[in-house]
Amino acid sequence: MIYDVVIIGSGASGGAVAYTLCKAGYKVAVLEKGRLINRDDFSKDELAYSRRDLVTPNLFEEYHTIESKVDGKWEITPTYDSGWSFWNGNIVGGSSNLMSGMLHRMHPDDFRLKSKFGEIKGANIVDWPISYEDLEPYYTLSEELVGISGKFIPHAHEPHRSTKDFPQGSTKENDVVKLFDKSCKALGITPLVTPRAVLSKDRGDRHACYYSNYCGSYGCSSGAKGSSREALIKPALATGNLTLLTNTHVKYLSSDAKEVKSAIVVDTISGKEKKIEGKLFVVAAQAHESARLLLNSANEHHPDGLGNSSGELGKNLIFSGGGSGQGELHKDDLKEIDFDALMTTGLFINRSVLDWYFLDHWWYGKYKGGSVEFMFEHQNIISRARKNLYEEGRLVWGKALGDKVVKRLTEQKSIRFEIFNDWLPNDNCFVSLDKTHKDKYGMPVGKLRLEGHPQDVKVGKEIAKKCEKILKKMGAKNIYSAISSTAAQNLVAGGCRFGNDPKTSVLNKYCRSHDIKNLYVADASFMPTGGSVAYTWTIYANAFRVADHIVESLKSKA
Amino acid sequence: MRRRSFFILGSLLGLSQWVNAKPSTEFEKEFKRVESTLRSVQEHMFPEGSQLPSARSINASMFLYATISHKNYDKDIRAFVLEGAKELMDREEGFTTYSKDQKEKALRAYEETNYGRNWLSRMMTLTMEAMFSDPIYGSNTKEAGWKAVKSFGGYPRPKRRYIGL
Repeated sequence: MIYDVVIIGSGASGGAVAYTLCKAGYKVAVLEKGRLINRDDFSKDELAYSRRDLVTPNLFEEYHTIESKVDGKWEITPTYDSGWSFWNGNIVGGSSNLMSGMLHRMHPDDFRLKSKFGEIKGANIVDWPISYEDLEPYYTLSEELVGISGKFIPHAHEPHRSTKDFPQGSTKENDVVKLFDKSCKALGITPLVTPRAVLSKDRGDRHACYYSNYCGSYGCSSGAKGSSREALIKPALATGNLTLLTNTHVKYLSSDAKEVKSAIVVDTISGKEKKIEGKLFVVAAQAHESARLLLNSANEHHPDGLGNSSGELGKNLIFSGGGSGQGELHKDDLKEIDFDALMTTGLFINRSVLDWYFLDHWWYGKYKGGSVEFMFEHQNIISRARKNLYEEGRLVWGKALGDKVVKRLTEQKSIRFEIFNDWLPNDNCFVSLDKTHKDKYGMPVGKLRLEGHPQDVKVGKEIAKKCEKILKKMGAKNIYSAISSTAAQNLVAGGCRFGNDPKTSVLNKYCRSHDIKNLYVADASFMPTGGSVAYTWTIYANAFRVADHIVESLKSKA
Repeated sequence: MRRRSFFILGSLLGLSQWVNAKPSTEFEKEFKRVESTLRSVQEHMFPEGSQLPSARSINASMFLYATISHKNYDKDIRAFVLEGAKELMDREEGFTTYSKDQKEKALRAYEETNYGRNWLSRMMTLTMEAMFSDPIYGSNTKEAGWKAVKSFGGYPRPKRRYIGL
């Protein structure tokens, strides 16, 4: 069988492309390395999902090597040695199963960062070859198809939208938002309702959120969360045009000078190798793995990897700048709201602040800031209890530990903020092939060199100070924040920049390889700069855009 | 810091040959040698009469065994748990027969070393996992751990351990 389209990966972008093509009547194969975990199989098992490798490979079998600077020298550490996994959900639907789904659209100026704010020394900033206008219809389409709930509040930094409001109202909120909103307003800050890829009402066979108290890091058991599996793969399967091949790991793509011919895959259960043939190939394996796959597909026609005539493949990998902070609301000094209401589990905070998306300094002038999400500390019990292990550098055990843990978990609740600001692309953040380390299938593992730009931390710290003020106003105690240039492994993009010039970019503006006409990369790899919001909504939107282009090109060939 | 060296650092024994041993054979034998020491440490850290249930009442030592003997459990940590216990036994002969005060003194002295502190921290983590995991794992008996902190696992609850990891 020769498929019309073969897609590698079933996450947000793979799902969006599969959905569009199957609906248009094309025969599609999705190759997914992981297994299928259905809605009914998911549970809120903290041990399994948050503390063991249930949805990611064992690091001793499959890993990355990480190159980071130690005392001025680059040092390589395999992730089985550090325990720092760069896998993000190897199951059908990918990491979109496990997201908390707090999403934003990118701002129109994020598409033209260089023209708007100029160059920054040491950063490889370029404008995108498309504008917000090109993507807007697809942001809207994602709201509908993925299921993004929310409440539109006009704001100077909120991108304009072609529809009046979200298809569904926002999910239910904890009483603490009264205190949050009041505190923000007292400080002259505008609190916004966070758009979420979580249904607030039933839709089709997907049921509304049931406020389980355990959303992020877990699969959703009602189908409310807009994972690629629930929202796109399932309806794609229902067309009869999709062949979903699970436990199917792609080792490399086989090509001649002009076209990709097949994917060479290994069945992860039996270990058997086989060939999947197609007319068109879409890589959607998550940024760092997509670049690795194309590098691993080098052959005599493409000695530096597929689609790498520019030498840019794997370069300018980006993450998300910023960090997080936290403060505790204590029973004894809680004002405005009832403590029992605060402790009610499951309901969300759903608040974000975009006031500092752009910053203006009397000396530095105007520059790019970031967005902030406010949420409860993750409700995982083991991880919350473990935060009490030490006091002044010494372990606490015995009755003292009992008192401490019980007090922390029953007499206060922590509010957390997460800052998203640009991770500036730079020459020391990229993925290449490791020359010595191989995975269990014998293929070189991805080697990630990770270094952030100093500007990222500067911006993050500036925003953190403002967030701490909100928590203080709310009456929180023990407020702290942690901003660093450590790469957030679950927020990865870049590595296959798109652009109009084949000499400086890997993909054209439709995310098709400049070099190979039947090869597309649909995941976040295309992003030359990342904006200051989580990537997921943009990944969905762009993949729908790419899919429409693929449909057009297939139609014109027919 | 590299984890492997982090586990070895300061240990007299280092990571031994059974880092790669199959859990069913060598591991069983080694575990039996340190089992009472492990239990004794857990019970000292999580005693009766605390606001949290005791290690004994929630089957913490059974949980520890089931966890580290699982084929998917990190083999470095598995080895570290056993080595750390052996090290303690070398430092404190007859630890399990010590009085409460003697145990406290011995563990605090062990904590003074980096290696000891890391190992004790690992023991606490494994015991806390026992206390706050879903009861399907055989610990957190009658949800005693959850009740103590008025925090409960979400629904649906797991029907199988690690759902066939």
